[in-house]
Amino acid sequence: MTPVTGIDFERLSLRDALDLAVLIEEEARDRYLEFAEQLATHDTPEVADFFSRMARIEERHRTELLDRRRTLFGVTPSAVDRRNLFDVEAPEYEAARAFMGIRQALETVLAAEVKAHAFFSEALPRVKDPELRALFQELRDEEVHHQALVKAELARCPEKPDESEAYADDPVAQ
Amino acid sequence: MIEDLVVGLAGSGGDGVVSAGESLLAAASAQGFHALMTKSFGSQIRGGESSCRVRLSTRKVLNPGGVLDVAVALNWEDFRRFGAELPVGPETVLIHEAKAGPPPADFAPADRMPREVIGVPLAELAKASAGTDRAKMTVVLGALAGWFGLPRDGLDRGLQKKFAQKGEGLLEANRKALARGVAFAVEHPLISPRTLTLPIRASPKMICDGNEMCASAAIFSGCEFFGGYPITPSTEVMQILARELPRYGGVVLQAEDEISGVGAAVGASFAGKKSMTATSGPGMSLKTEVLGLASLAELPLVLLDVQRGGPSTGIPTKPEQSDLFAAAFSAHGDVLRPVLAPTSVEDTFRVTVEAFNLAERYQTPVMILSDQEIAQRKETVDPIDVSRFELVERIRPTPEQLAAGYQRFSATPSGVSPISHPGMEGGNYLAAGIEHDVRGAPTASGAVHAAMNEKRFRKLAPLQERADLFEIQGAANAPLVLVSWGSSAGVAREAFALARARRLPVKLLVPTLLYPVAEPVFRTFFAGVQAGLVLELSHQGQLYRLLRMFVDVPRGVTSFARSGAQPFRVDEVVQRLAQAAETLR
Amino acid sequence: MNTLLAPNDYKSPLKPIWCPGCGDYGVVQALYRALSAVGRPPHEIAFISGIGCSSRIPGYTTAYGFNTVHGRALPIAQGVKLARPELLVIVAGGDGDGFSIGGGHVPHAIRRNVDLTYLVMDNQVYGLTKGQLSPTSPRGLKTVTSPMGSLEQPINPLLTVLAYGAGFVAQATPADMPGMTALIEEAIRYPGFSFVNIQSPCITFGEEEQQLKAHKARMKPLASLGHDPANQLAALDLARAYGTELYTGVFFRNPSPPPTYDVLVRERQVELQRGEPRPRSRVLDNFPRS
Repeated sequence: MTPVTGIDFERLSLRDALDLAVLIEEEARDRYLEFAEQLATHDTPEVADFFSRMARIEERHRTELLDRRRTLFGVTPSAVDRRNLFDVEAPEYEAARAFMGIRQALETVLAAEVKAHAFFSEALPRVKDPELRALFQELRDEEVHHQALVKAELARCPEKPDESEAYADDPVAQ
Repeated sequence: MIEDLVVGLAGSGGDGVVSAGESLLAAASAQGFHALMTKSFGSQIRGGESSCRVRLSTRKVLNPGGVLDVAVALNWEDFRRFGAELPVGPETVLIHEAKAGPPPADFAPADRMPREVIGVPLAELAKASAGTDRAKMTVVLGALAGWFGLPRDGLDRGLQKKFAQKGEGLLEANRKALARGVAFAVEHPLISPRTLTLPIRASPKMICDGNEMCASAAIFSGCEFFGGYPITPSTEVMQILARELPRYGGVVLQAEDEISGVGAAVGASFAGKKSMTATSGPGMSLKTEVLGLASLAELPLVLLDVQRGGPSTGIPTKPEQSDLFAAAFSAHGDVLRPVLAPTSVEDTFRVTVEAFNLAERYQTPVMILSDQEIAQRKETVDPIDVSRFELVERIRPTPEQLAAGYQRFSATPSGVSPISHPGMEGGNYLAAGIEHDVRGAPTASGAVHAAMNEKRFRKLAPLQERADLFEIQGAANAPLVLVSWGSSAGVAREAFALARARRLPVKLLVPTLLYPVAEPVFRTFFAGVQAGLVLELSHQGQLYRLLRMFVDVPRGVTSFARSGAQPFRVDEVVQRLAQAAETLR
Repeated sequence: MNTLLAPNDYKSPLKPIWCPGCGDYGVVQALYRALSAVGRPPHEIAFISGIGCSSRIPGYTTAYGFNTVHGRALPIAQGVKLARPELLVIVAGGDGDGFSIGGGHVPHAIRRNVDLTYLVMDNQVYGLTKGQLSPTSPRGLKTVTSPMGSLEQPINPLLTVLAYGAGFVAQATPADMPGMTALIEEAIRYPGFSFVNIQSPCITFGEEEQQLKAHKARMKPLASLGHDPANQLAALDLARAYGTELYTGVFFRNPSPPPTYDVLVRERQVELQRGEPRPRSRVLDNFPRS
């Protein structure tokens, strides 16, 4: 089950590939923003802030890629849009939890980066154009780099699981 | 010469008793009489005991009348099954099938036994003239024409209508039967003859019942959707609309149950269309939750409850006025829902139009409380000048309001906020039964909830000033009062006229608007009042109780109430008024 | 591609009450995307729901929404569609709203075949009220109202809806977002009553083995089994595995959908209104006069 639909990688242009990369970051950004909002609403402020920070990071990635795209191809309309993507780098909804701890949040991000890496790795063999291959390799390696960053933060996290849930009140019937 | 005649007919289902009553009604109407017909049956679907009462008069007929002037019994068992619905007295002319023999010894108490009892060989005469004893009731009609001066051409036209399509032979045969009945009457004059004064001129009248009138008024009002479920005695409304409403571009849905019926009607209202449902007591109970939803979501809806004997399954075929509490109060929470009640078939038109207008203007469900008697009795109704009725549409947001950021439940001075509907661009909103803020977003805030309740109640405040929804007759300072509603008001009006003729210092109040209780109107009415009656058909005297919740009802004003299926008689009301008058200082 | 109607054009600013991790987040996202693909503007969409966590969904869209009462969304939605047939009508609710209290309305909505789409978020539990038994809870399930294990056989929503003759029956899970999005879009496009049972787990009260991780492992696309959605008997057979297997995709799509109820009603109105127009003001002329 591929997270990207309606795209023929063998015929993908560099422009469209960059647009795809931009959208992947945008999708991830929007998902982290949603998580931030959900967790803020559900009284998990520390991790809500964390996800807001993640959203800003993804936004930075997005604008970097967008600048590259514009430099090379201007503002010609894109042939790909969000409808082609289904959570390439965006963490799945089920990852969020009320009262989740930082460790859990970091693991979510890690899983998302692993997913994204897997996507680029799998797409690579199908991409023939050398410029495109270079881009995909670069993006794949970026994910490795991101994973390393996340792992480093995880290492700094206390080992024991978060106990916030234990302190929380029972669910409320509506 | 008499101006008023009450005829009661009883027999078995196969005898065509009701059919004969309808012919009589039509004939009377054609002659220019005002007339009213009620029917009553046993519990079998076919062939059980069957009866009807026809009251005709040169004056407007306000109620089915009390003691019969004429009683026709095709057999004694069936007649007696109707008990107090066919009361006889010494002045009653009791006509019976001769073959049935004289009245049984215990037919009536000695002081109520009719003095004039005539056995007519109906089966024999029918056989001889029409060739079949089935034409018994036609002979009866002829006899009635002969004895009381009932209109023959009208009766003949009735025969034509009934039998022309069923074969030429049948029409001729029945004409002969009619003539034979007349001949019998001429040959056997009454001991105390009485002939009806004929109306001066015949004016065109409609003949219809309350359900037909309600359905017609709904069409007139612009109703575009009806959702409902069969339940006696309201089903005819759905049936008439099922046939007629699509011709006007509307939709009728017989849903799978009462809840689905009103649910669909609420959905249609949400979609911006005037919509309606109809039911009786048991259906009222089922619809309660959805009614509450409509109130919270501030959606217009008209709900007709044709009251019948209750509670629970009760007595489906008899009238009662015991759904008032349910109409006013059912649906949990603080809900205010206007309740209107017609008092006659003619009145049903005005009240239904008013119900649609209130529903649309105030964005609320509105109840119409009719009852089995009004709904299913046939009445002659003078032509209604429909041009004097204004039709109200719900207030919709203007393009400016939509562009400025539309808030469905905005706080307006009147409490009525413009309502959009799906399809209207810019008017998107969330409707809900859950408490909400001005935009429609769900809220649990006490302050917002209080403000919304206040809005929903405040918007109905103008109803307190609707003096036009109250009929008041008599001197304003009269110390004695008669208050009544629904079908009982027909008896009350006649009793009021008689009481006044007897010089009782009485005034009459018939409310169309039962709830919310219009306190200013009642306060004015009860000022200086010492005694009186609130007349209604329910064991608890529900209007009386309701008034006492909201108004200082003078101690001398008491409830004259009893369970349904025992309609009030004019004479007993006058008597109680006279008794009350004796307590006046 | 109408860029004016992007998925986010269907997203309202209202913050969902759903617990983070709830399957319904995926459902509403898929719905935004499906509606964007169909292209009807929000003001032409009426989104009716009952009561329950999943029934909150209309408020999270920009369509005209109506949160009604428990179990009665289907009749109310039919009233909306019949009153204004040009609208796109979607109905949503949970398994309890649809098959417990609302169960009596399901057969009639199906056989009436008003054109609407019914999305049921099936999580085998009553979430909003804190974890009671639901009509699709498996036998033996221990919940707050079945502390010693449920003694009831669950209802099979797929079999039920198929047996009543629905023309479009599918099952989806947020574990397969592209698949679910496509199914919702297809259901909306189907002319007539269409049903999508969405296995949308409750992470607060639902069973561990019902969560999306488990879905990913268990789910089997019907297409991969070689199922032909035009084969109603095969669909019924496959539907029997509800509770044991998690089949996703279209169980049945009627290859020749009959005219919908709303279309037939309209045809009749047109037929009846031919000839002499009857103004409503003359309605009393219908009565016999003497």
